[in-house]
Amino acid sequence: MQIIENLKVKEKLYIEKLENGLTVMIIPKKGIQKKYIIWGTNYGSNDSTFIVPGESDVTEVPKGVAHFLEHKMFEQENGKNSLDVLTSLGVNANAYTTNNHTAYLYECTDNFYEALDEFMNYVQHPYFTDENVEKEKGIIGQEIMMYDDYPDWKVYLNALECMYHNNPVKLDITGTIETISHIDKDILYKCYNTFYNPSNMAMVISGDFEPEKLLEEIKKRLIENKSNGEIKRIFENEPKEIVKAKAEQNMEVSQPLYTIGIKDIPAEEKERVRKHITIEILLNIIIGASSELYKKLYDMGNCYFVPSIEYEFDRNYAFVLISGQSNNPEELFNMLKKQVNEFVNKGISEDDFERTRKMIYGEYIKEYNDVTTISRMFLSDYFKGINSFDYLEEINAINVEYLNQVLKDVFKKENMILSVVKN
Amino acid sequence: MKYDKIDIKNGIKLHTIQTDKFKTNLISVILTTKLDRENVTRNALIPAVLRRGTASLNTQEEINKKLEEMYGASLDCGLDKTGDNQVLKFYIESVNDEFLPQDGENMLKTSMDNILEMIFNPYIENNCFKKEYVEQEKENLKQIIEGKIDNKARYALDRCIEEMYKDEPYGLYKYGYVQDLSNIDEKNLYEHYSNLINECKIDIFVSGILDDNVEQLINHNENISKLKDREAKYVVPRVKSKKSERENIVQESMEVNQGKLIIGLDIDFDNEDLRYDAMIYNSILGGSANSKLFQNVREKASLAYTASSNYYRFKNNIFINCGIEIDNFDKALKIIKEQIEEMKKGNFTDEEVENAKQGIIAAIKSIDDEQDTEITYYFGQELSEKKLGISEYIERVTKIDKQKVLNIANKVSVDTIYFLKQ
Repeated sequence: MQIIENLKVKEKLYIEKLENGLTVMIIPKKGIQKKYIIWGTNYGSNDSTFIVPGESDVTEVPKGVAHFLEHKMFEQENGKNSLDVLTSLGVNANAYTTNNHTAYLYECTDNFYEALDEFMNYVQHPYFTDENVEKEKGIIGQEIMMYDDYPDWKVYLNALECMYHNNPVKLDITGTIETISHIDKDILYKCYNTFYNPSNMAMVISGDFEPEKLLEEIKKRLIENKSNGEIKRIFENEPKEIVKAKAEQNMEVSQPLYTIGIKDIPAEEKERVRKHITIEILLNIIIGASSELYKKLYDMGNCYFVPSIEYEFDRNYAFVLISGQSNNPEELFNMLKKQVNEFVNKGISEDDFERTRKMIYGEYIKEYNDVTTISRMFLSDYFKGINSFDYLEEINAINVEYLNQVLKDVFKKENMILSVVKN
Repeated sequence: MKYDKIDIKNGIKLHTIQTDKFKTNLISVILTTKLDRENVTRNALIPAVLRRGTASLNTQEEINKKLEEMYGASLDCGLDKTGDNQVLKFYIESVNDEFLPQDGENMLKTSMDNILEMIFNPYIENNCFKKEYVEQEKENLKQIIEGKIDNKARYALDRCIEEMYKDEPYGLYKYGYVQDLSNIDEKNLYEHYSNLINECKIDIFVSGILDDNVEQLINHNENISKLKDREAKYVVPRVKSKKSERENIVQESMEVNQGKLIIGLDIDFDNEDLRYDAMIYNSILGGSANSKLFQNVREKASLAYTASSNYYRFKNNIFINCGIEIDNFDKALKIIKEQIEEMKKGNFTDEEVENAKQGIIAAIKSIDDEQDTEITYYFGQELSEKKLGISEYIERVTKIDKQKVLNIANKVSVDTIYFLKQ
């Protein structure tokens, strides 16, 4: 296995791409009781239009299939449910779906290899029937309705709808009750066979392991499968411009919730990490806990919590999100635009930059405190073409000139939107 | 890992957790006081006001800048309701020197000094808190209290607890009540604060790569030196027998798409040791994907996505939690009650008991893999005056068998059924 060591955080990554195309990454943690394994496919809610390798026609499936598949993977031909089997072993198993990947995981202290038998077996053996697919529609229907009651989820989705014309990132990961009604077992098999090929998957393990031995155990449990070649994913062209500057929805909430979005274009692969760090630094300087703007808002009684700030990106989208609760989101939005304008004109100060960079560095170090965060981070970064250690190195390559450049390029008024949920 | 407990003064304890598993040091200072209607809102306001300014860093901007300089140390406060106590928690997490680019940062000492100053040496004007800070934090707290409706599932649970513990301390909302706020000002709040820090139980937890001088650091800290010995006023949580006479059904309406069903159960015993058995009972009833509730309400009847239960060991209650179609209330309730009956009849297997034990044991074993979980665990021990190491804890759970779980099943009764609907 290839070993990549990071001397700053004092951790090592063991990585290997197997013959069948599967990438395995191991981050050993001596002395930790908990073991965590996560196996993901680079297939999420966004991938609903694609060309199956070896075919020439485009396949289009209903929205929500990736998430539906995740639910159905646990059911086995022997009548058992793998979630139950894993739980019986005293391990804590779960799965989740994002816009761009689906992941299966468990954490445990004992019975790691017994659980690995079941885990690798079920992910490699789907079993869908008309009956078990129908049954799941009721459960997922309740999951969708649960999300419908979360104002923070609604304000987020509405923000994406303001930004995106065509990119499926704006849609609910679960699909809707209507779209999932069209899902049947043939669709599930087709998507499974296309996307759950080892060459489209990666596995990350963290805990007290000897990497080489662990890798052998994993190889033993892989069924014979060939790399099936490239899957062509089809996305409609997305204009640079936003759809609309504002969205508002009424729900029973104590105080308005807001999400401000800034639509961006994805950076070149080699610049992605640097740009991500830079935007995190900028957002903190502009509206973070020690910023002038936040102080003003607080003193005015506009908001009482530091807004949460994020930069989300993948190969075909990128956007900034600033969200929280505020008495007057419009006012906050206008003040933000004004503040950005001021920074663009006068530039970011060296002091603010250095202090915030230190803070972000500390936050990256903290990510390595537990095996769950480590594994999830390495997996999701991997599907974006990133080795997570890069963040610890690239942060030193950033300077204030670059910061000011990104500020001008990304924080443009015409790309900003405001989504509000209020009474 | 090595855990030690040292008395600093009467009612003030230092707990050290020496561990090399983490990149960070975590210091947590916990103030414990009796939960009561009179003081609940004032207590809730204190952490927020303290967070605004200290004697040397007068504003939150200065505090936050300082924290950013300290490689993003996070300093925060929170409130908990633990048994009949209101618990004010302050913590600071900072990167250990070993993982910092420069030598000689001495992050542990800096963190310690900062958090102790925040709690015990706040920014004072004219012998009381700064008026502006108190007024702003009152407004902020008002919004937090009113914000409890924003998370409907959490709201339903809080309402169920409130109904079950009407006129008792545990029924109080931990953030207090809006109507109390108007009587609070910078003077009486400061007075209340001064009494609180003289009378409450104080526990200081320090976890991380520590050398031997943590005790010295604390003893030399002037904010600690000025604290007095005290007979701390708090309530040691004790299990009480409680059996409900009849089911209380409460239905309320709000703008929801999905109905939120919460069922509060009483368990009728006063022997503390039975709590381990109750944990296993809960696990089989609704604590995992194998549980009766998950299997029957979700997997078989397809009525819910969430169908689970939690055991509150300090109060000896179980709360069942389901999100369902509003019209399915009767159907879901019937299935849930059947599961409780099945448990009473002993319709669960030795294997289910063993599986539940394995799950709980795995959770116990990984307590010291997370810094805050470990602190919470030892604080729970401290509060209930127990001394149960992790290996003894595991041993207790290992001994549980079906008979013991059945014994619990027959002590369970439904107290309150709360349904939040449209």
